[in-house]
Amino acid sequence: MVSAYCNRFYATKPELAARRIEAIGYLVGHQLSERYTIERPRFSDHLEAIKFICKDFWSELFKKQIDNLKTNHRGTFVLQDNRFRWLTHVSIDPSPANTDLSQEPSLATAESKAAQATNMHLYFPCGIIRGALSNLGIPCAVSADISNLPACSFLVRIKA
Amino acid sequence: MIVCVAVVGHQNNPLYLQSFTEADDALKLHHIVHCSLDVIDERVNNPKKTGPTLNETFLGLLYPTENYKVYGYLTNTKVKFILVTTDLDVRDADVRNFFRRFHLAYVDAVSNPFHVPGKKITSRTFADRVSDIVRTFGLGTAV
Repeated sequence: MVSAYCNRFYATKPELAARRIEAIGYLVGHQLSERYTIERPRFSDHLEAIKFICKDFWSELFKKQIDNLKTNHRGTFVLQDNRFRWLTHVSIDPSPANTDLSQEPSLATAESKAAQATNMHLYFPCGIIRGALSNLGIPCAVSADISNLPACSFLVRIKA
Repeated sequence: MIVCVAVVGHQNNPLYLQSFTEADDALKLHHIVHCSLDVIDERVNNPKKTGPTLNETFLGLLYPTENYKVYGYLTNTKVKFILVTTDLDVRDADVRNFFRRFHLAYVDAVSNPFHVPGKKITSRTFADRVSDIVRTFGLGTAV
C-alpha cells in the first residue's frame, strides 16, 4: 500500500503521500482502539492509556509488547520496539560494496533514498498510534525514529 | 419492552437514535435521552465511593422517570449507549448482556472504512443487528 501511494499516486509530492498514509493510519488506529477496548474498564489517566497501547494494543497488532517505555512526566513518551515487525526485512546498508554506483555523492543519495522509503513506511504506524490515542481522548503528535534497525522508537508528544 | 436505544458520541453528538414503538412521541424520547446525558456526566465526574467503581463501563440505572427506566453504558472512547425501557422488572444481567452485544455491533459498524467518525451511523446492517438484539432482549438466559 505504501509503495502504491509513494510511487503511483503522489510520485512527485512525497509530503502529500506521507500525509495521506498517516491519515489512513489514523482512521485504522481509531477503529482498532474501539475494538480492543471493549471489555476493559475506563482508563484513569494518560499513563494508563499509554500503557494500554504498549501492552494490549501492540500485542494484538504485532504479537509482542513494546520493549521500552520512557517518559519525562511532562507529556512526552518514547515507545521503543527492539524488533519492529514491519521493518525486519528492511536494511540500510552503509557499506559501499553493495551498490552499483561508483561515485561518492550518488552513494549518499542512494542511502538517503533508502532512508526516505523506510520513513514512508513508518507514517502508517505513527498514524495508528495517533488515531488510537485520540480516540481515547488524548490529542497528540507521533513521530518515528529509526537510528538502528530493526529497533524502532516512536515519540509521542501529548498536546496540552 | 425496550422503547428506544441511542448512541451518543464523545462530544455529546448523536450518532444513532432508534425507537421501537410507534405510539410514543419520538420527541419525548429524544428529550429523555438528552436528559440522561447530564446524569451520565454527573456520575462520571463525581464518583460515589460506595457505588460502582470509577472504571466500570456499565453505569446502571440512570434514573427512573414516569413509566420509563433509563440505563447507561460508557465505553473507553467516551461513546455513550442509552437504553430506555418500560419494563418494570428488568434483570441487571439482561441489561449488561444487551449492552455487550450492542457494543459489539457498534464496533463492527464503526470499523466500516466508509464510516466517518463523528457522523451518524447509516449502516443498515447495524440497524438490523440492533433490532435483533432488541427483539431477543429478556428472552432466554444467556447468549
